Amino acid sequence: MRPFAAGAPAYQRLPRIYWALIALVLAGTIAAPQFRTASNIANILEQSGTLAVLAIGQAFVIAGGMIDLSVGQLVGLITVLSCMLFEAYPSMTLPVVAGCLGLAALVGLLNGELINRLRMSPLILTFGMLSVLQGCIFMLTDRSIGQAAPSVAFLSNGRLAGIPVSLFLVAAVAIVAYYALQRSVFGWHLLAMGNSADSSRKAGLNLAALTRIAFLVSGLCAGVAGLLVAGRLGTGFPNAGNGLELDAIVAVVLGGTPLKGGRVSVVGILGAVLFLGVLNNLLNLLQVPAFTQIVVKGAIVILAILADRPGRLAQAA
Amino acid sequence: MSAAPSSHQAALRLPSLDRAAVWIVLVVLLLLAGLASDAFFKLNYLTNLVRQAAPIGIAAVGVTFVMLLRGVDLSVGAVVSMSAVVCAIVMDGKPGNLWLGIAAAAACGAAIGAANGLLIAFGKVSAFILTLGMSIVVYGLVQMGTGGTARGIVSPGFREVLNGRIGGVLPVLVICLLVAVAIGIFLQSRTRFGRSVYLIGANPEAARLAGLPVNRITVIAYAVSGFFAGLGGLALLARTGVSGTNPGAGMEFDVLAAVVLGGTTFAGGRGGVGGTFAGVLVLFIALNLANVAGLPFAAQLTIKGLIIIAASAAHSWIGRRASGRTQQ
Repeated sequence: MRPFAAGAPAYQRLPRIYWALIALVLAGTIAAPQFRTASNIANILEQSGTLAVLAIGQAFVIAGGMIDLSVGQLVGLITVLSCMLFEAYPSMTLPVVAGCLGLAALVGLLNGELINRLRMSPLILTFGMLSVLQGCIFMLTDRSIGQAAPSVAFLSNGRLAGIPVSLFLVAAVAIVAYYALQRSVFGWHLLAMGNSADSSRKAGLNLAALTRIAFLVSGLCAGVAGLLVAGRLGTGFPNAGNGLELDAIVAVVLGGTPLKGGRVSVVGILGAVLFLGVLNNLLNLLQVPAFTQIVVKGAIVILAILADRPGRLAQAA
Repeated sequence: MSAAPSSHQAALRLPSLDRAAVWIVLVVLLLLAGLASDAFFKLNYLTNLVRQAAPIGIAAVGVTFVMLLRGVDLSVGAVVSMSAVVCAIVMDGKPGNLWLGIAAAAACGAAIGAANGLLIAFGKVSAFILTLGMSIVVYGLVQMGTGGTARGIVSPGFREVLNGRIGGVLPVLVICLLVAVAIGIFLQSRTRFGRSVYLIGANPEAARLAGLPVNRITVIAYAVSGFFAGLGGLALLARTGVSGTNPGAGMEFDVLAAVVLGGTTFAGGRGGVGGTFAGVLVLFIALNLANVAGLPFAAQLTIKGLIIIAASAAHSWIGRRASGRTQQ
């Protein structure tokens, strides 16, 4: 369950990504004066909210040895749909929010159900679903549409006593996820499935139900992330979710959760999300050209999964 | 006891059904399309359809090899873009640079493919995620190279020849596609490489224990995939004439849908280039039908996704039935 012995000193129990984060923050502090300002730090935290929620949702799926590539486009769909509905029904913010979250959870449930029924690899099914959802978005609109409700915008952009409101949301999601994944029977079963689906089935675990729940959580988190994006952009941008699924997977893997599942660390994922956020922020502050940033991000994807190699993990454990 | 012969028959029949499925679908779809619009029975329309399919079809031939290996190559869309851009920049509108441009594009494709193959073979990482990451890197490099605007001019003659029709009937691009398919079929069935790909895809562990050079074959297969994607980029450039900055965007979905339709599933070891060719035709007739039916372009994305899901579910169902019977 736990990557390190409980008796080990605290600094050894810290997920490794935090050392990279500390190094990056130190480098940033020296290299870029604007980086040190409180408003910039609040900005980084605010911008990382979407990815944090999405990565935590992805962690449920990856912990069980599966993967969900459809979340990026699901974020886009919820962003577009919610903004369209917010504009059409200005007085019904709460029902629209509930409806969007319900739809996102339903798409996740559909993923899980299809994987169970068709006995398909989650990778292929969610890859196909990515294309299906993208088509749905562009059937709704091909340009930015609608307007986010003020309360949703406050959730993404607002500050309470200088602290971004989204931080409270992320903290709540993270605490729930920590207890569900690392401190509950459900989490134990999910990780057992990630370690060996075959043994888990023989031990009598209900793999179909675990799959359904994991994908439902992933979809629901994508829904929350979609609302956060809608609030941050203020409008429904159809390409808002492009590539987010990869960012989420990279955050999970960098956070010390192997792609093949069986182990998970919510705290590690939060560190990885911050690491990616700080890196993004620094690249912008240092005025690295946009196209170079794309190459850097692609390289990080490749480096992250190379670091995820089974041999390396065996050494670390 | 009486069950034994019938189960043998089923075991024999199902794999051949697996191979024939896409051709049956192709014929049925073509007949249906003909009912919807008699244009589908006109030679000119059909050759045009295949001409449109050439860039994706050529790229799909290469991807078939990595899929046979249980791998996947999602970087083909980005490689197609890179190939078109590199070719146009190298040609620079000069007739003398024609072959240099073609060679540079094919070489770039093969190099990216080989990089994929090396990382997958020796890094032992998920091909899916790695090639997705590679597609971002390649996309970024292309954007850095072009500065975000269309650059480069094709050599005179390049478009004219490739867009011509031999005897006024058969488009040259169709012949290019057929040649690519023929090369693919030769590679898969007449070379040691091709047979190794099938064996490794069917059972990597057994292939390794039998002494097959798994790593080398993996690198070659990904290089082949990149090479054909490079050629696909050339075909796309011939059709459009300008390189744009990201002409191959999203092409990996078409390619994957075509390959899976053709019976080469993610499970590896089954299928082949012939099926992929039929898969490309099925995909394009389906997308054309969607157009004729007046569905918006965006619906095509949804259709592609559904095809990927349905085709791989159907083929794995056939595969399960077949192997289940033989085990009994």
